[in-house]
Amino acid sequence: MPTVRLRDASEYPESAQALFELSKAWFGYDFKQPPAMSRVMAWDPHFGGPHGRAMKRAMAPGEFTRAEKEMVAAVVSGVNACVY
Amino acid sequence: MTEDALWYEAAHVVGVTNALNVVADGLGHDGAIAPAEETSAGREVAALFEDIRAFYGRPDVPIPFRLVAHDPGYAGDLWGAVKRAFSDNRLSRRLKEALAFAVSLTLRSAFGSRFHLAEMRRLGVGERGVMEVLGVAQMFSSYTKIADTLQLDPDMADIAPVDWSPAPGDLRP
Repeated sequence: MPTVRLRDASEYPESAQALFELSKAWFGYDFKQPPAMSRVMAWDPHFGGPHGRAMKRAMAPGEFTRAEKEMVAAVVSGVNACVY
Repeated sequence: MTEDALWYEAAHVVGVTNALNVVADGLGHDGAIAPAEETSAGREVAALFEDIRAFYGRPDVPIPFRLVAHDPGYAGDLWGAVKRAFSDNRLSRRLKEALAFAVSLTLRSAFGSRFHLAEMRRLGVGERGVMEVLGVAQMFSSYTKIADTLQLDPDMADIAPVDWSPAPGDLRP
């Protein structure tokens, strides 16, 4: 159970709604609610904004494809024993 | 990237990478176990070392293999698993080295980080590619700890369809 109350997307200000739209576009999936991590990151846009942009830069296709990078992300998450 | 066989290959890479790292990082420095000498190895170990050197294209045998070579049978089987895990298959050896680098970095293995970084470069990954893998490892080390700290429940499972394709060796029609 989360240690914080995850707010409903409607509780966020207008500026955060744009972040949620970006999240939906990034995942290519129409979530009923933005993913918990997206809502966590939107709590402080001054943190979540640059953090999200850094992630997108890292995940963008380059020498490695997006799919290859998703696998790198998966193994890093796995060895960090993160179930999220 | 839709068949689960790919994930078996990735998991094997992660497993043997950690297996080599724990021995190299734990015993590779203080001489508690002396690494087997390459020049005075018996015939069985010499052949094993030759295969290892050829696979990695280098003149020396990496330390974790030398540390376990006092038991040639064990070392041979370990090498068989490592060689299989890192060989080109459905996943390329290049990507497997990137996975091993990311895992080694994440698990703070000095040996593994250096070794697999060198292997990535040897296999043609440029500095941009190295930064890409480093960036992904770093960012997901951040996301995972944020998720763990807040004890977030997984909610991303529905974004990709479940794929029940069999693992390699499954002969079911």
